[in-house]
Amino acid sequence: MAAIVEVEALSKNFGPVRALSGVSFSVEEGEVLGFLGPNGAGKTTTIRILLGLLHGDGGTAKIGGHDCWTDHARASRFFGATLEQPGFYGFLSGRDNLRQFARMLGPVDEKQITDLLDLVGMTERGDDKVKRYSMGMRQRLALAQALLGKPRLLVLDEPTNGLDPNGIHGLRILLRKLATEQGLTIFFSSHLLSEVEELCDRVVVLHRGEVKAAGPLSELMNVKGFRYRIDVSDVEKALEVVRAVDGARAEPGTIKDSIAVTADTDIARQINHALVYAGVGVDQLVRTEKGLEDVYIQLTGVPVASPLSSPPAPVAPR
Amino acid sequence: MSIVLSLIRNEFEKTWRSRWIVFVVLGGLFVLIAGGLYTFYVFHEHRWTPPATVSWQSQLQDQITVDQRTIADLEQIKQQGRGGGTVRIGGGGGGDLTLDQAIAQLHQGIADDQYLIDNDIAPVQSFAVAEASLFAMGGIVMFLLIRIFGWLASEQIAGERSDRTITILLSRPASRNQVLFAKAFASFLISLVVVVVTLLIVYAMFSFWFGSPGSLTDQAGVAIDGAKPLGPGNLVQMPIWLFVLMCLGAAMLGVLCVQGMSLLISVLTGRWAAIGITLAVLFGAPLVSAVVAGILFLISGSQDSGHFLSYIFVNVLAPVGSVAPTFGNSAAAAGSGIKEFVSELETLGVWTVGFFLAAWLLFRRKQEAG
Repeated sequence: MAAIVEVEALSKNFGPVRALSGVSFSVEEGEVLGFLGPNGAGKTTTIRILLGLLHGDGGTAKIGGHDCWTDHARASRFFGATLEQPGFYGFLSGRDNLRQFARMLGPVDEKQITDLLDLVGMTERGDDKVKRYSMGMRQRLALAQALLGKPRLLVLDEPTNGLDPNGIHGLRILLRKLATEQGLTIFFSSHLLSEVEELCDRVVVLHRGEVKAAGPLSELMNVKGFRYRIDVSDVEKALEVVRAVDGARAEPGTIKDSIAVTADTDIARQINHALVYAGVGVDQLVRTEKGLEDVYIQLTGVPVASPLSSPPAPVAPR
Repeated sequence: MSIVLSLIRNEFEKTWRSRWIVFVVLGGLFVLIAGGLYTFYVFHEHRWTPPATVSWQSQLQDQITVDQRTIADLEQIKQQGRGGGTVRIGGGGGGDLTLDQAIAQLHQGIADDQYLIDNDIAPVQSFAVAEASLFAMGGIVMFLLIRIFGWLASEQIAGERSDRTITILLSRPASRNQVLFAKAFASFLISLVVVVVTLLIVYAMFSFWFGSPGSLTDQAGVAIDGAKPLGPGNLVQMPIWLFVLMCLGAAMLGVLCVQGMSLLISVLTGRWAAIGITLAVLFGAPLVSAVVAGILFLISGSQDSGHFLSYIFVNVLAPVGSVAPTFGNSAAAAGSGIKEFVSELETLGVWTVGFFLAAWLLFRRKQEAG
């Protein structure tokens, strides 16, 4: 498969703040690639560079072989995109908004607009003014807008923002359908790891402007060792013992009187011995399935986004 | 090319759908003004129908008679030693004059008017359409319209940025040059339509006032230098339609200049900042200009001392306003005439090119970080 998106050593500073530092990845034609990272990681900056809204300070960003800044008109023929908090003309209806953007791609195809409104479940509200739309409806309209002109690549920045659980479920089904039935390449950023885990063939994890990991999900979930749950008699002491073992990471478990440990198999055996030797009772040591969430936390050191989590401070240039 | 046409069409649709109320209010204002003027006319003249048409020769002859009577009065005052040695004539346009200066000015006015009659050259003000052009495109009407056009243009990019639609607009297959050109062209076309419709409405009103629409093909005379006596080397004759086009072109250059400035501001800021800065400049600059001119007049005693302000962008109405009145052409009309008109057009042209160039250079490199 040929790469439709090629990002090579991309860097970008906003004044003294380093937003991207040598970011490199590619998106193969026909794949669904998840773009992960905490707030401020540089996901939106990367996407804005791909869309031709920003230009990098160094490196290259190409879509379909065309530079996203210097050859934007050609590059933009390949993709449709939505950005976080999509904007529309509030005084126009959803349908008229689509007409506006469709005109920039050639003659307006009314049937395609009707079909797209139907596809995103906006048929009934398509003729209402956008200023009366909820955030979720705007997201759905944004997706319809991105699909205008039948692009080969769909770039979605946090497409589930503002969607209710039903909407998220619907979007997941729709994206999967677009990828499998129409062979559409999808590149999307999201905070929702479960979405990424279910939809993506590959992921790129970005943290503080640098790519921390990139590859197929299956590889990524095994590359950093296995995950164990150890039920112990004394959690505090057990954590102290395990943290002293090289190659092991430990934290309090989510289940009472347990700790969660990440380590390779041989290290796990050492941990078991060390615990017993230290007088910590071990009720059981169980290898658990490691999820994307664990990988994400391991790579970024940032807990999965929750309402209480705050974005990391910007990184000053070295 | 087709993408530019599509963008222009989009701009028309967006402007109309979002700002139709502005155009409706403008239309309503015209109806009110026309109705108010007609009511005034009916009460003042005690008639419902237009007045009888008066030939320009008769008007000039009447003016000469009035000027001769004024000269006689001034001579009498001079002999009696009254009046403090100074007098203000012609609405004070030239400031206070000594009696001798005033008398000399009136003599020149009579000579100019007589020259026009003797050579069968109609002054531009004797045509309804010319008066309508000067009023509609060089006065309070255009003063207000230019501010509305400035406001609309200031939203062109800034509004897209505030609505976050700029991300879609700039990520679609249109170059930034095309986007900027389409926006500038569409706003210019919209303003051109509004100005032409305004001119037609004012022309209709002046036609009533003059008693007839008058000719559009007759020749009219305009002074080259308003401060010098009319004569073969100081008078241009042109068809009246050309004069109207000349005024329209100058007014639209003023509009374009303001739109260029607004677009430049729009490229750099969000909606409310752009509207605020644009309107502050458009309303504040004439005010500052008037204050500076007033201070210079107080210091020097001459109104010409502030004339250089006409060469500063702030006075975008200057070119049309500077077309010399051939009635009462005199030393008091310094800073008027075709020569002055051309100089001010050149100034305005430089500002206009500068604004658009700056807007273009900035927009093509502007990064939309969100």
